[in-house]
Amino acid sequence: MLLVIAEHRSGKLNRATWETIAFAQQLAGGQPIAVLVPGAASVSAELAAAAVKEVVNVESAVLEPYTPDGYTAALQQAIEQLQPALVLLPHTYQTRDFAPKLAARLDRALITDVTGFKSSGGATVFVRPMFQGKLTADVAPQGPPPHFVTAQIGAFRADQAARGASPAPVRSIAVSVDPSVVRQKPEAPFQEAKQAVDLSQAERIVAVGRGIKGQEHLPLAQKLAEAFGAELAASRPICDAGWLPMERQVGSSGQTVSPKLYVALGISGAIQHVVGMKGANTIVAINKDADAPIFEVADYGIVGDLFDIVPALVAELQK
Amino acid sequence: MSGAESLDVDVLVVGAGPAGLAAALRLTQLQKERGGDPLSIAVLEKAREAGAHMLSGAVLDPSALAELVPDFQSRGAPLAAPVREDRVFFLTRTGKLKFPVVPPPLHNHGNYIISLNTFVKWLAGLVEAAGVDIFSGFAGADLLMDGETVLGVRTGDRGVDKHGQRKPTFEPGVDIRAKVTILADGVRGNLTKQLQRRLQIGAGGEPQLFAIGIKELWEVPAGRIAAGTVIHTMGYPLRFEEFGGGFIYAMPGGKISLGFVVGLDYRDPLFDPHVAFNRFKRHPFVTDLLRDGQMLRYGAKALPEGGWHTIPRCHAAGALVIGDAAGFMNSMRLKGIHLAMRSGMLAAETAFDAIRSGDASAERLKQFDDKVVASAIKRELYPVRNVHQAFEHGLLAGLAYAGLALVTGGWWPRPIRAVPGHERMEKLADYYGDAAPADEGQDAVRADRKLTFDKLTNVHYSGTRHDENQPSHLLVHTDVCHTLCTEEYGNPCQRFCPANVYEMVMEAAGKRLHINASNCVHCKTCDIIDPYQVITWVTPDGGGGPQYDGM
Repeated sequence: MLLVIAEHRSGKLNRATWETIAFAQQLAGGQPIAVLVPGAASVSAELAAAAVKEVVNVESAVLEPYTPDGYTAALQQAIEQLQPALVLLPHTYQTRDFAPKLAARLDRALITDVTGFKSSGGATVFVRPMFQGKLTADVAPQGPPPHFVTAQIGAFRADQAARGASPAPVRSIAVSVDPSVVRQKPEAPFQEAKQAVDLSQAERIVAVGRGIKGQEHLPLAQKLAEAFGAELAASRPICDAGWLPMERQVGSSGQTVSPKLYVALGISGAIQHVVGMKGANTIVAINKDADAPIFEVADYGIVGDLFDIVPALVAELQK
Repeated sequence: MSGAESLDVDVLVVGAGPAGLAAALRLTQLQKERGGDPLSIAVLEKAREAGAHMLSGAVLDPSALAELVPDFQSRGAPLAAPVREDRVFFLTRTGKLKFPVVPPPLHNHGNYIISLNTFVKWLAGLVEAAGVDIFSGFAGADLLMDGETVLGVRTGDRGVDKHGQRKPTFEPGVDIRAKVTILADGVRGNLTKQLQRRLQIGAGGEPQLFAIGIKELWEVPAGRIAAGTVIHTMGYPLRFEEFGGGFIYAMPGGKISLGFVVGLDYRDPLFDPHVAFNRFKRHPFVTDLLRDGQMLRYGAKALPEGGWHTIPRCHAAGALVIGDAAGFMNSMRLKGIHLAMRSGMLAAETAFDAIRSGDASAERLKQFDDKVVASAIKRELYPVRNVHQAFEHGLLAGLAYAGLALVTGGWWPRPIRAVPGHERMEKLADYYGDAAPADEGQDAVRADRKLTFDKLTNVHYSGTRHDENQPSHLLVHTDVCHTLCTEEYGNPCQRFCPANVYEMVMEAAGKRLHINASNCVHCKTCDIIDPYQVITWVTPDGGGGPQYDGM
């Protein structure tokens, strides 16, 4: 029997589960397929549409919220009850988190990130990339079953997973796990902050370079940016020093921008910076050095001390 | 860290340059000629693609190529132009004296002007067509050793951030184990350096001497100079105490390879090779040549110039060292590509026999050194064995000896001694006394960004890229920078680096060394000449570095 372990987050199915079902169906060759759903009965009903022998719901309090210890303990028991020949999982972050532990707990072989399979002398070998995809290796699992195989995301197509004529039967099995085996205490899930700034979309940018001298002077540039309604950006030395995050770096090793207005404060105009901003409609440069190459690309140039000029500009803009 | 992914091969070649690729290609030929179980061969290359880190003049002596690939012409070897004319000049500040006769070592009849990185791309194509896997974008970070035996190489971890934390893209290094590991990691190779440290393979020999070559590729108006013209210069802007000179190689389509080579054994701590290069370009002879032209590319690379007596033992149990890593270069002819290739071919023969006999011990692999001694490599290098060393006594002594060597076959009562280049650099107080000028580098002609360029602009034209968010691959082991070094040498790292990697920045707390590692063109100069020997070049994330094209 082939066992597919479904993945969901609080009852919302991860579509990669369908890819793994497709993988299982191609691999099965007449063997029955079961889908194992840790917790979340609602997901079981959804998956019953697949052309599989059955959907098995594992019930245990340690399965929600997700912890690697809880999953490992519960799934270990479920697998021992069901005795599959192969356990298939989507190669997701969550699988990467618990599958090695689960395989090790059962002392069984684990083949990860599989993109295909072939048969070799009657046995199935799995194909997986090595060296960032420069080579592929054919890997045959050894030792007693079940063998664990994770499928690379996108290697099998979810829309090719066959649906059954009628819903597959759903049953539940119980496992008993002592909650004290769970050592992790998950925090509330957080949404990674949307990238705070997308300079390429900014209409106006105020960028600072080494002429700003110190991190403590950044609020001055920030004030000018606010007065213009502009995003704050910087040349490489500023971000390299950690004064501003790298996502605010403009230039060949940062962002390429083309705002309507680009104000360069204390930026000399090294070619590495210029290639990232020369597409701006209007470039204003403020620099002490009249020979600085930034003036070659600037539409308006002010030769002078930015510490004198910027406050004057801010005052004027605020009028 | 056990449990790293590993790969076993028969032969691992580290470095897809002329030496490493010649070794790999020769192995496949031996396999064909002699049959037997197919050998597994892997080639590691830190550049994104083979050839991208290759930089040389270059004039190719095709002797080794003709043996390795007899039908190289019909297979489309990219040879830009056959050499038609040699000229050698001695430059004064504004004038030039033509050598009445071209010194025999600089006769290039029968040779070709090439772009080394184009040539190596072509050679890599032949190697891959012969069934060898070239792992480009993978840097050999560490030797795997058991006692005195080399077991293979560990590639560098990828995806580590500035602070040493793993990024989501983290991939651990891979252990590649080989019966024979051929180190072709180039001048001052990081793995060869590890081998030197572990096994003292250089013990008993003379210290290696290096030079730095800085090069630009130019396009000038048609008709300025005939393709196939090879020009070498001595003299200005160097003084008698510095070893080196300029080169100008003319290719079809108005393309010119223009460069300047300086021995990394200069005494003046304020000397800046890049400034010398700019002064060379401002010499009227060169300025006239480049007028209304356009600089297309820039790059720099160190080269091993010590010659025969500085070549270390090139074998260890399980390992061979070839090419520039070992120092197979003829500094009198200014050529090494053919020697690198020949050393690769001989190493392939040694490795092949060792694997077939199941014996890759040091005694067995010593055959490589014996083959080198019996080969055209020694026949070429031995007669000029003392030349660079003689130049340490000044230009005139060097020229006198070089002339004599042509007659006597290089005879001298004993090897001419030299000290490692970094020991020759003098402290400011010793060199200048009380009259130390502010900073020679700053006093340099201001870059006009047409004929002359500042280092940062030049670096842009090397195509260099590194992921910014990774640990610095230039390790400064002891922070002597703002304390000892500022006073003793005036922070020469700011000058000897041709890529603006090292910067002393003024901060409220005082001067501090700032390393712009992402500018590094992998020339290795800092690792070589830093007077305190506290800089170590280690491999950055694979794929990082210059992207040379046509250089």
